[in-house]
Amino acid sequence: MKKKYGWAAAAAILVLGAAVLAAGFCRKKETVLEFGMFTGSNWDVANANSFVIIDKAIARFEQEHPGVRIHYYSGVMKEDYSEWLSRKLLAGKEPDVFMVLGTDFNQFSALGVMKDLDSRIQEDPDFEPDRYFSSAFRTGQYGGAQYALPYEVVPTLMFVNKTLLTKEGIEMPDQDWTWEELYDICRKVTKDTDGDGILDQFGIYNFDWMDAVCSNGGEVFQADGSSCYMADDRIVESVKYIRQLNALNQGQKVVQEDFNGGSVAFMPLTFAEYRTYKTYPYKIRRYANFQWDCITMPAGSQGENLSQVDTLLMGISANTRKEELAWEFLKLLTYDESVQTEIFQYSQGASVLKAVTQSREMENIVQEDMEEGDTVISGNLLGRVIEEGYIKPQFRRYEQALALADSEINLILENDKSVDSSLKILQRTINSYLQQ
Amino acid sequence: MSDRKDRYIALFQGAMLILNCVAVTSICAFIYVTTRRILAYYDARRFLNGVVTIPNSPRDNLVVCMVLMGILVLTFTVRQFIKDLQNRFAVVTLILDMAVCSAVIFHLDFNYNGLILLVFANVISYVKDGKAKLFFVALAIAGYLVADYELLSIYMPLYNIDDYIRYYASGTQQYLFSVYNIMVSLNIILFIVYCVYVINAQRGTIEEVNHLYRELQTANEQLKEYADMTERMAQTRERNRLAREIHDTLGHTLTGIATGLDACLALIEVSPEQTKKQLLLLSKVSREGILDIRRSVNELRPDALERLSLEVAIRKMVTDMSQVSDVSIYFETDEKHLKFDEDEENAIYRVIQESITNAVRHGKAEKIWITLKRVDGEILLVIKDNGTGAKKMESGFGTRHIRERIEMLKGTVDFDGQHGFTVTAHIPIRWGETYD
Repeated sequence: MKKKYGWAAAAAILVLGAAVLAAGFCRKKETVLEFGMFTGSNWDVANANSFVIIDKAIARFEQEHPGVRIHYYSGVMKEDYSEWLSRKLLAGKEPDVFMVLGTDFNQFSALGVMKDLDSRIQEDPDFEPDRYFSSAFRTGQYGGAQYALPYEVVPTLMFVNKTLLTKEGIEMPDQDWTWEELYDICRKVTKDTDGDGILDQFGIYNFDWMDAVCSNGGEVFQADGSSCYMADDRIVESVKYIRQLNALNQGQKVVQEDFNGGSVAFMPLTFAEYRTYKTYPYKIRRYANFQWDCITMPAGSQGENLSQVDTLLMGISANTRKEELAWEFLKLLTYDESVQTEIFQYSQGASVLKAVTQSREMENIVQEDMEEGDTVISGNLLGRVIEEGYIKPQFRRYEQALALADSEINLILENDKSVDSSLKILQRTINSYLQQ
Repeated sequence: MSDRKDRYIALFQGAMLILNCVAVTSICAFIYVTTRRILAYYDARRFLNGVVTIPNSPRDNLVVCMVLMGILVLTFTVRQFIKDLQNRFAVVTLILDMAVCSAVIFHLDFNYNGLILLVFANVISYVKDGKAKLFFVALAIAGYLVADYELLSIYMPLYNIDDYIRYYASGTQQYLFSVYNIMVSLNIILFIVYCVYVINAQRGTIEEVNHLYRELQTANEQLKEYADMTERMAQTRERNRLAREIHDTLGHTLTGIATGLDACLALIEVSPEQTKKQLLLLSKVSREGILDIRRSVNELRPDALERLSLEVAIRKMVTDMSQVSDVSIYFETDEKHLKFDEDEENAIYRVIQESITNAVRHGKAEKIWITLKRVDGEILLVIKDNGTGAKKMESGFGTRHIRERIEMLKGTVDFDGQHGFTVTAHIPIRWGETYD
């Protein structure tokens, strides 16, 4: 009798084991990795090829990993992406790998919905963080841990209206120009050309205090977000410089139309915008009636020709069940040189890998889209601007704190308040907000 | 504990279980419903701004928690049906409960730790084994202290039910907060009432035990009285036998002698020869009578005394008693030849025996000193012990027999209950007088 039970038990265990194995195989055959992305460009420029890089990478990944399928949701616009991803996270149905907007990264890292990649990075023998631009790589860090890897990077450059400068007999500034040079040129070009008593030609548009702070070596917040440096010498200098530039316009407001019409000499613009509006078909829609080019930002007295660097990040869900595959796919998108080279072909940003951005190949690709006379920004210069660029600190209340600072400084500028004392007051206000 | 009490305890536990089931399910369901609502209103990103973190998947959480609570209900039911619970089985189901509760609390991110009270309640009533009980209680207390949301949220991101409640309009918030607080408080109140009940029930048990103990003591005392009575009856029987013996032998012989002497008186004048014969006969009869009496007395003597000398008999008794009762008895005498009349030896032997018995039985003595010496032609017998003694002398402590025996020999006896118990007897000995 006992023997019979023994046999029955053994048979049951065998059947169960077989079922588990079969289930395992079945699941393996149908492994689906979810990928979350948005349609269009992260840099607010038109992009018809937003899926090309991803589609090609997916095809390659699926070929290299038989039995794995990568599924992504198409049609989520960038402006809807934050809400879309938040909804997925709330419902617990987030993709395994997903893009993270710069404005969401702090929040999502703090929520713990993104996987801490440090152990992966340490254990993966093929992975060397040094191959990334360190600024871009650091953007994916929160509270000392790496939660995301950079996919695409965009520095801010200075747009120059060459036609206007030539008309005024001013030479194109060189790569290491300064605030004084910018001010001089602006002073020279700001004038009333048609004699109606109203200024109709201006020096600069959209250059704000943050741009000035970045090029003056300033830092707005402490890295962990515990306090701010509003009363710091470099920031005070930056705000005063913006006031000087604004004063040239004699109270008149410069608008985008003035710039589009060719009557403004300078405007900060991103590398993505530069690439978009330099290429067909966009180059004939905008800025068609004048010659233009891009150079670095002017350096402040205490800083260098640097600007803000914006990074598109990608991370892995903290709850993924396919961590290995997710990591492989994330690596393919952000760490593979051929995928990263395609960023120059099909997107408007720059690669996050030093070797790709600083290569001849990149210069050739960018050159292809441009006219003969246009000078292509050199890979080395681009690399330096990215590597040393200003990246926003990652802490949870950054967006709110910066918005608070921005509106207060605009008030200071508009109402002609004393910069020194107002910034001291602002420092206290923001510190008390941060320390709440 | 009686069946009735058991039923009340089970009722309390059932009520706590139901309350906890309701609490856990409503918390999970509330989070799930709120999440649905947030999704329906497209408020996800704004909501995420205000929260510490979010549960992995509200729906999975709800399902998992309901299943886990189902297991708790199952173990509870099993415990109700199996009446003769082995301690080990109870411990096993309680450990299972503990694991399940931990899992639920973990799934709820420590927002509700009332389940620990449920485990604690079970431990109090089911586990009788002192050590296991102590272990469980310590574990439950430690768990309740550690599994506190406010404490743990310092160290790790935990989602907070308050964040979900705050999503609603302030009027609804107040209502929801009060419902939540009422559930938590109700659980604590139920737990306290339960504890008080269990403590009362256990105190009832203790009183019952005390009552039984008192009854047992009374019965014991009664039994002792019966024993004393039996002893007295045996004594009476012995005396009756003695009286019969004396009547049968001594009476018979003396009657024979008296009649024979009467005959001699009548004969002496008539026939001296005949009288002489008669007197010889009487002499023989009286000697036979003496033999008879000796035989009777012999029958009354203790075994040891019958076979051994007094000293050897006493030493044997002392050794026997020491061995039997774990008492150290020291016997000491300065008399070389302890050879007295039988009744005297009997009395001495009996007095010593009785005194030792008293010292052991009533005085709980550990050491007894016996001294036998000759003082002024009398025998001084002192039996002293280190027992509890007796503050007030009561008859029936076996002292009456001693007094009777000594007084039969025209001696005196004193009892002293201070510092142990001391019996001091003076016995006038008939030195050198023997029957033959």
